[in-house]
Amino acid sequence: MQLSTVLAGKTFTFASVKEVLAKANEEKSGDILAGVAASSVLERIAAKEVLSQLTIRDLRENPVVSYEQDEVTRINQDSIDAAMYEKIKSWTIAELREYILAYETTESDLIALGKALTAEVVAGVCKLMSNLDLIYAANKIRITATCNTTIGKRGHFSTRLQPNHSTDNVEGITASLFEGLSYGCGDALLGLNPVNDTVSSLMEVLKRFDEIKNRFEIPTQICVLGHITTQIEAVKRGAPCDMIFQSIAGSEKGNKAFGFNADTVREAYALLKDRGTAKGSNVLYFETGQGSELSSDAHFGADQVTMEARCYAFAREFHPFMVNTVVGFIGPEYLYDSKQVIRAGLEDHFMGKLSGIPMGCDCCYTNHMMADQNDIENLAVLLGSCGVNYVIGVPTSDDIMLNYQTNAYHDAVAIREILGLHPITEFERWLEKMGIMENGRLTKRAGDPTIFTARG
Amino acid sequence: MLDQKWIDMIADEVARQLRAQGKVILPEPSDRPDFGSGVAITEDIASAESKAKTLLTNPQDAEALARMKKRTTARIGVGRTGCRLNTQTMLTLRADHAKAQDSVFTDVDPRLIERLHLMSVQTQCDCKDTYITRPDLGRKLNDEAVELLKTNCAKNPDVQIYASDGLSSTAIEANLERILPALTEGLQAKGLSVGTPFYLRFGRVGAEDHVAEILGAKVVCVLIGERPGLATAESMSAYIVCDAHVGIPESKRTVVSNIHKNGLSAVEAGAYITEVIAEILRQKKSGVDLVK
Amino acid sequence: MSTIISVGIDIGTSTTQVIFSRITMDNTAGYFTAPRISIVAKDVFFRSEVYFTPLKTMALIDGDAVRDIVAEEFRKAGIRPSDVDTGAVIITGESARKENAALVLEKLSDFAGEFVVSTAGPDLESIIAGKGSGAYQYSIDNDCAVINLDVGGGTTNIVSFYAGEVTGKGCFDIGGRLIRLDRDGTVRSISPAAQRIIEEQKLPLRVGERATDEQLLRLTDRMAELLAEALGLKEESTLLHKIQTPNSSWLGQTHTASRICFSGGVADCMEQSRAGTADFLRFGDIGLYLGRSIRTNPLLAAARQVPAHETIRATVVGAGTYTTSLSGSTISYSDGIFPVKNVPALKLSYQEQQEFLDKGGESLYQKCRWFLEQNDTENLLLAMPGKLDPTYAEIKHMAKCIVDAMMRALPPEAPVIVVVEQDIAKALGNAMKQEAGNQRRVAAIDSIKIDVNDFVDIGRPLMDGLVVPVVVKTLLFG
Repeated sequence: MQLSTVLAGKTFTFASVKEVLAKANEEKSGDILAGVAASSVLERIAAKEVLSQLTIRDLRENPVVSYEQDEVTRINQDSIDAAMYEKIKSWTIAELREYILAYETTESDLIALGKALTAEVVAGVCKLMSNLDLIYAANKIRITATCNTTIGKRGHFSTRLQPNHSTDNVEGITASLFEGLSYGCGDALLGLNPVNDTVSSLMEVLKRFDEIKNRFEIPTQICVLGHITTQIEAVKRGAPCDMIFQSIAGSEKGNKAFGFNADTVREAYALLKDRGTAKGSNVLYFETGQGSELSSDAHFGADQVTMEARCYAFAREFHPFMVNTVVGFIGPEYLYDSKQVIRAGLEDHFMGKLSGIPMGCDCCYTNHMMADQNDIENLAVLLGSCGVNYVIGVPTSDDIMLNYQTNAYHDAVAIREILGLHPITEFERWLEKMGIMENGRLTKRAGDPTIFTARG
Repeated sequence: MLDQKWIDMIADEVARQLRAQGKVILPEPSDRPDFGSGVAITEDIASAESKAKTLLTNPQDAEALARMKKRTTARIGVGRTGCRLNTQTMLTLRADHAKAQDSVFTDVDPRLIERLHLMSVQTQCDCKDTYITRPDLGRKLNDEAVELLKTNCAKNPDVQIYASDGLSSTAIEANLERILPALTEGLQAKGLSVGTPFYLRFGRVGAEDHVAEILGAKVVCVLIGERPGLATAESMSAYIVCDAHVGIPESKRTVVSNIHKNGLSAVEAGAYITEVIAEILRQKKSGVDLVK
Repeated sequence: MSTIISVGIDIGTSTTQVIFSRITMDNTAGYFTAPRISIVAKDVFFRSEVYFTPLKTMALIDGDAVRDIVAEEFRKAGIRPSDVDTGAVIITGESARKENAALVLEKLSDFAGEFVVSTAGPDLESIIAGKGSGAYQYSIDNDCAVINLDVGGGTTNIVSFYAGEVTGKGCFDIGGRLIRLDRDGTVRSISPAAQRIIEEQKLPLRVGERATDEQLLRLTDRMAELLAEALGLKEESTLLHKIQTPNSSWLGQTHTASRICFSGGVADCMEQSRAGTADFLRFGDIGLYLGRSIRTNPLLAAARQVPAHETIRATVVGAGTYTTSLSGSTISYSDGIFPVKNVPALKLSYQEQQEFLDKGGESLYQKCRWFLEQNDTENLLLAMPGKLDPTYAEIKHMAKCIVDAMMRALPPEAPVIVVVEQDIAKALGNAMKQEAGNQRRVAAIDSIKIDVNDFVDIGRPLMDGLVVPVVVKTLLFG
């Protein structure tokens, strides 16, 4: 294993695989904050070069957090497809990149390949990809999952309708929900981020979602994104619930800071199998985001892309229905500007797909970073062309509870039209039945939330 | 009373429609689409009154939509042109974002600091850009600040209060003048010694731990601008910590957030925080350890 | 989380009932904000049977017998009077309110706890019944207009809600016991309102004579038609005005009566009357006839019927669960100042408030004196809008004016209490405490809306003293 190179007449030597991985990253403010970033652009490229000559085996055998110390590493290592791994372990990361991008490599090849890759390998190859590489490679792969409906089929582009409210007022939530449905949003999920993480509050909203889903016979999923333990309790007390959500990190320590571990997720999964309202077998929802491990000092000196890839390795253990990175939420100390956010969005989506999980993206920004609405519209279109499973939709981009901006209800409609994509089939049929959509476009009736109140 | 509100709302709607119709009389191309967003610049489109209005034309149930808008500040009932936002909606969104960004990236008006007779000191951040990317530097006062505090501030007070821009200078400008006397007098009325207040530029919450060490205060309370949302850039928080030292866990802080005129108003917050601080001093605990 | 027990006692023209409910409150604010205590659940855990109200005469309640009923129901529920934190006794219907109220207050005082209040007035009854029936919640859940008709023995109380807001209220003397009959159809009594309808319809109904199904149905069909008139579904007749319950509001036409909820005893009769007229006299009144007439009235039937959660118990459930509200959660008061009961509120408009702030305490003092004299009372509390985002100096000035004026206007032992709408009570109350020193107990509470002529009860503090329960009464008797 060679950890040094000569580039442009300079010698670059790295102490560890972890350092190579970190320095090979495209520039991110979070890696600078963590003190792991390359100190010059040339050093970054040298690290990429060194990385390109490491083998899949080198990366598997040098996880950034040790097997003994961390359950995420254990879950990842223990679930690797041994037969496939034997075939590919001596490939360099450069060869892996070229295999992924080659014409001959099919979607099913990539899905089979993904099962033999640890997070460090997924992150490693990602670091050798340009933005267009990431888009091109990700577009080869579709990962589907089934809850009440099936998400992720080629040609589909879905949305999570996020009708958040600053005080969890159920009527206010319903108002935003109706507005979103009237724009054809919500085929991935009707999902609220609650202000009050209490069982009673979650139950109240879940009951309302369930009631609306049933009253209007909407073929979709519902979830209220409280803490996993609060959701478990709500389901135990009889709340109707298709899916349980949790924010996850790429290390056990990071997950502990979020207040759960793998057993908690197993409990949630078993509970929903038993008492959930979903028809299908994919009943979990995870959110991730580069930098969250550093923010809880759970990054173990690794870079944020590698830690992010570890989230997906953890997630795939539990067969989620949906996973998305909340890419611009964490703030400028981790992703400084729109360039870094767009890069991170493309990286995360690619890594998620290659890991074999049904990947969406919350294309968002906060008000203290160097980004605006134009940037996340760009990202959403790029991801649409990658074949992302879903993006988020909120009223006019403005989330009044999370105090950030993401895609507007309007955006998904535009992206579908531009790229010739559709909502999940049952949902599109429902939109047609409701007179909201016709021939893949909005009708005159669309955009009026009172079409739902007038009926009631 | 309530009926009157309905009438007002309906009157607004009628007025808006009349205005929209009024435009039709103007010599314009006859094929102009009637999507209704072309409002002449007669009002501040970033104002609450303007945002409360519905831009969607001809909803099936206008009354229901008016009620929905009363239940949430989300931007609903905005309508569309094709599948995109109407011009006014788009501009209002951008205006609100501009306000929020300005509150992050501009400084607190120095005249306010002067009027309140506050000494102004700085963290180890040299500019806003460093401030937003280096939270570690925003948690430490620079050498000059340490000296100035040592020279000019009362030592070992029961309570040290100071203000910091944090992520919103607007929040400090909107609330500091109202909350500071309420807090200071309230604490003094309880017989507590209150340290010399000051202003810390480019400050993160954690800087209060450094302040506690420098001044030997039992309790430190920083009044700091919250990360702005589009609804308001005026929201301020108080982070209160007991027996702080650099490296104290975040969970030891007691937080009172959402201080602004449409949340918890500044003077009411002052009265509430006074009691919270008195209780912290009584229990000698803050954050998760504080028994409520 | 904290739970209080609320009692509802409804003593109506025809029936008397008792219910107990648990009202659960919790801090619904996030961990990082000031507390916000809200009512999170209301659970009726005991319902008495429905008693016929014991009467001494046609109109006068038998106080001792009512007392026995209430005592027995407390016993059955396993509730001691001291367990009860709040609630309401309501005396409803056409009976002699004033005398009955005095009697009830006297006879039930030891059951009513220290906080249970007596309220009445047909308008308030209408609202309470509409809340108890579930119509109120339905209008919120479905964001629509719902009219609730609580058709009882003596009156029909009507309220219209639009998305949780009261948009109209009224009461008419139409009910199932306006005429009493023997099993064989012999008329025992006819109320004055029924007599008016009989006269208008020229029906041959007289006390002591036998009535036929046809005659009684003609009477009740007309009653149902009058209800349709009241809802604006038909042109008003002059008779409608004659049977308006005294002291009730004129409902007026607020919203189209597209959704109607029926509660009260006659609501049950609507279903029961489907079985045919054979045994219509089994209750000894015209309830089943009226139920049938309402059910078959084409104008009323055209509206969508909202199912009632409570029918005959709507008023008592409403009284037991909806009369108490909570103050804001940042308030300020002197120790031991609460409870206070039946305190008349001097309500200031925003302009009036501005006036005393501009002119100082003297003008407020004059206003207080005038109010005390006008109302022949020694006590009052001040209700005013307050100010959005005041400065500290404004709060201090406000406190100074209030304390100065009210300490002079009120007797030495009376506390100085202010109720403001804006969330500024803790700052204001603290400033008032400083102003009053140790000379007077003071309190400022907020987030409560009070109207002119209201009376207010404020209960003992709850949730570690963060909030106080408040009952605002629009009419007081006794």
